[in-house]
Amino acid sequence: MQDYHDILAEVLIDEKTLQARVKELADEINRDYAGQQILLICILRGALPFMVDLMRHLSVLNAIDCMAISSYGSGARETTGNVRMNLDLQTNIQGKHVILVEDIVDSGHTVAHVLELLRTRKPKTLKVCALLDKESRREVVVPIDYRGFSIPNKFVFGYGLDLDEFYRNLPFVGVVDLDRYVSNEK
Amino acid sequence: MMQDYTEFMDEVLVDQQAIDKRVRELGEQISRDYAGEDLVVVCLLRGGLTFTADLTRHLSLTHELDCMSLSSYGTGHYASSGNVRVNLDLMTNIEGRNVLLVEDIVDSGRTLAHVLMMLKTREPKSVKVCVLLDKKMRREVPVDVEYVGFDVPDKYIFGYGIDIDEHFRHLPFIASADLARYKNTAD
Repeated sequence: MQDYHDILAEVLIDEKTLQARVKELADEINRDYAGQQILLICILRGALPFMVDLMRHLSVLNAIDCMAISSYGSGARETTGNVRMNLDLQTNIQGKHVILVEDIVDSGHTVAHVLELLRTRKPKTLKVCALLDKESRREVVVPIDYRGFSIPNKFVFGYGLDLDEFYRNLPFVGVVDLDRYVSNEK
Repeated sequence: MMQDYTEFMDEVLVDQQAIDKRVRELGEQISRDYAGEDLVVVCLLRGGLTFTADLTRHLSLTHELDCMSLSSYGTGHYASSGNVRVNLDLMTNIEGRNVLLVEDIVDSGRTLAHVLMMLKTREPKSVKVCVLLDKKMRREVPVDVEYVGFDVPDKYIFGYGIDIDEHFRHLPFIASADLARYKNTAD
């Protein structure tokens, strides 16, 4: 597998900027939910580092849960209709304050479907916290209550976002140099 | 409303600075041990989330990340019963690959032993275990744990990914709870 240095076109958001913004988002959540309990839902696997860092800055009482989803179609999940739930919540969200934590919102189809599905369970409130927002790609309207960064339509990786399953651990968000990237068959 | 943790905390067993330092050391050690090799890191949900996020940040080798969610067929805590039920299996085919299981804590060892047995049927190249906390005196079955963050006493533990009734995972340190002072008043 290639070292990330070989395929990095540019660092889009560096570690310091990322961490500062994550803290700001948590502060905002702390203010909005002061005196309440919240449930953070981590959409696996991309949102993992973001959720962990976000959670660390929370002062409101919080619990976390995870969901894993994929597409019924082929290819990237964003491109198709319905989502398939590979791992559902352990928590009953009825009557709870819920925040869906996503790494990136692109077309918006996935988030829209997950929101629709979760609303049928009657949470008290349901909000979306997304680290990255690729607005130019949006195909359906999705309310993003907490937005880390708006980003251009570039192929990004790092901080939870993978490139063929690798590089999720990088502490920054980078842009892939597609000319130098060799996708390897495992 | 839930109690404030300071009302039932017994003591801080491992503070934030000590955790950060040790997690970095483990990351460096793993990076050395697998240098030039392929690696799939498997996070055991949900307790392993925080540790995995921090540990992988210190891995200098290119690796893949996957997650597994397990529960028990029996009642009560899954570690105390026999077989484990897989709620979320790996997306990755681990055949022929190096696998590193990342877990928050090992006590009886039963869960880990079962997961290891199960994963080995898939013929990975290797499977190793990295745990943040090891409650050795609770061990009921032998499990090889290659990477250990800290040995901890047989106390009720919370923080840094480990919950009490689903809360307090966010705390940046590891503490023991005085259960006599703890009341579950969550909704």
